[in-house]
Amino acid sequence: MGIKGLTKLLADNAPKVMKEQKFESYFGRKIAIDASMSIYQFLIVVGRSGTEMLTNEAGEVTSHLQGMFNRTIRLLEAGIKPVYVFDGQPPDLKKQELAKRYSKRVDATEDLQQAMEAGNKEDIEKFSKRTVKVTKQHNEDCKRLLRLMGVPVIEAPSEAEAQCAALCKSDKVYAVASEDMDSLTFGAPRFLRHLMDPSSRKVPVMEFEVAKVLEELNLTMDQFIDLCILSGCDYCESIRGIGGQTALKLIRQHGSIEEILQNINKERYSIPDDWPYQEARRLFKEPLVCTDDEQLDVKWSAPDDEGLIAFLVNENGFNSDRVTKAIEKIKAAKNKSSQGRLESFFKPVGNTSIPIKRKGTKCMLQFPKPMLKSKIFSPQGYNSSRPIGFGSMPTPGRDIKHSTTFSRGVCFGT
Amino acid sequence: MDSSHVALVALLLRSEGFEHYRCDRNLSMGMNLNNMAKMLKCAGNDDIITIKADDGSDTVTFMFESPTQDKISDFEMKLMDIDSEHLGIPEAEYHAIVRMPSAEFARICKDLASIGDTVVISVTKEGVKFSTRGDIGTANIVLRQNTTVDKPEEATIIEMNEPVSLTFALRYMNSFTKATPLSNTVTISLSSELPVVVEYKIAEMGYIRFYLAPKIEEDEDETKPQV
Repeated sequence: MGIKGLTKLLADNAPKVMKEQKFESYFGRKIAIDASMSIYQFLIVVGRSGTEMLTNEAGEVTSHLQGMFNRTIRLLEAGIKPVYVFDGQPPDLKKQELAKRYSKRVDATEDLQQAMEAGNKEDIEKFSKRTVKVTKQHNEDCKRLLRLMGVPVIEAPSEAEAQCAALCKSDKVYAVASEDMDSLTFGAPRFLRHLMDPSSRKVPVMEFEVAKVLEELNLTMDQFIDLCILSGCDYCESIRGIGGQTALKLIRQHGSIEEILQNINKERYSIPDDWPYQEARRLFKEPLVCTDDEQLDVKWSAPDDEGLIAFLVNENGFNSDRVTKAIEKIKAAKNKSSQGRLESFFKPVGNTSIPIKRKGTKCMLQFPKPMLKSKIFSPQGYNSSRPIGFGSMPTPGRDIKHSTTFSRGVCFGT
Repeated sequence: MDSSHVALVALLLRSEGFEHYRCDRNLSMGMNLNNMAKMLKCAGNDDIITIKADDGSDTVTFMFESPTQDKISDFEMKLMDIDSEHLGIPEAEYHAIVRMPSAEFARICKDLASIGDTVVISVTKEGVKFSTRGDIGTANIVLRQNTTVDKPEEATIIEMNEPVSLTFALRYMNSFTKATPLSNTVTISLSSELPVVVEYKIAEMGYIRFYLAPKIEEDEDETKPQV
């Protein structure tokens, strides 16, 4: 799944790109979520004990509905506007990877059988999780549920990840939420991990910005894609013996896969025959996505009370009281989402100040030019050393003399 | 700025207000407010407080001296790196500016919060109206311009260029009114396309200003460009 070892590679080589954010800070933001990944997680975790799962009266699994319903409400309550993106047809290159996953599942099913015969509880748990597969029916159930909740759903022509990234690139959403690191390879400008984690785990949301990743690694986007292919992606094999760290070194040294292939020791590293890295690269760079504005015009609407009760309570055996309460929560959250953010009024200012490191010895000060019209504030955040400026305050009212006497500016930078 | 990026606070203390003030170079330091509060709570009521920081250091020191000079405490706090975008607050002409007794404003916010979650502040020719709506009913409080009072700080002065009406979350307003003891009067500046500014003067030496983004009508929100 995703890019092998990319998280660790970034943590080691570009620790600054990972920014921990509070869940609440995404208030009012539109966020594209990779639905298939979330459903998979729900099937694994929600309401499972051993081989038993949450089911309705007919014995059909409902873990995904339970998970989707509760987590989506949690997002809505936090004032987040989620839009779920579902996978379409996988690209041909991914079929190999999918076949591998399928055979792993078959193996796991056999192991599960054995474990059940042996009565080993831990193994049963372990292997039954590995047999989980997201079926078409699961996807359809979730789409129906989301539509009833008034949450928009987008069906990607191919990879959901790529569609999410495209939405984010075209500013239709603020960020992409997934656990799959290849969102970055698809070039999602802002990518969030752990947004969908249960609140009980208390993990902060991890925010990545692709621009910062490139800056910190000192790579171009094309080189970053090559790095991801070399590290191991879903689309093709990687070269044996080359992991993330070596791949980064090679890319920095040679600049592209082509150059690397010409220069590396072919005795030491065996390059796969018929290696479709160019095709993989193309899939990352120009993935099949929907760009039709009409289809992507996402709207959040009021939930359909009766529809939800019919679907969840009558068809899937959910507790009626709980569902009614949850619907109230969705409605209450609707009102909350009308709170504006300061950024909608005060535009972020670019790095106008001379870049200097905060901790650096070369602290630089600047008295503001008399022209300095806007003052600069720095919103809450951690881990970085970006510039902070502070100029003259605006004058709400009657004390013009004060604000002119106090007109003093500081500029720090990276 | 708070973590949901809805409110922002700015505190200014001018150098004249300090007994001793020295600053060789302009310095910007990120401090965790909770941690700073923890340290300041360690000071005695009558202690003399000295705040110092060195150039290029990543800590700030709070020194507390008792009035009799027989106890001196030193607290060193780690600074934090404050990141991310900087918001430029444009100089703006506000449509309406209301100056009123701060205790009156605090009372109104507290009372309205017991009825509803949001307050609509409307300034018209007639005066300033604070209204809310909740499950149990509605509330409207109108203040008129009133300058015929004995003490100037009891006056309610309304300056209006254009009528304006904005909705705000009372939860934030009630956090702002915690600054009431700082000043007898509060100045509220409103403009239809800007966050409200609630300002309390701090004696002759500065002010504390709170900025709060208004609530936006839902359908309007849909057409707003993505930020």
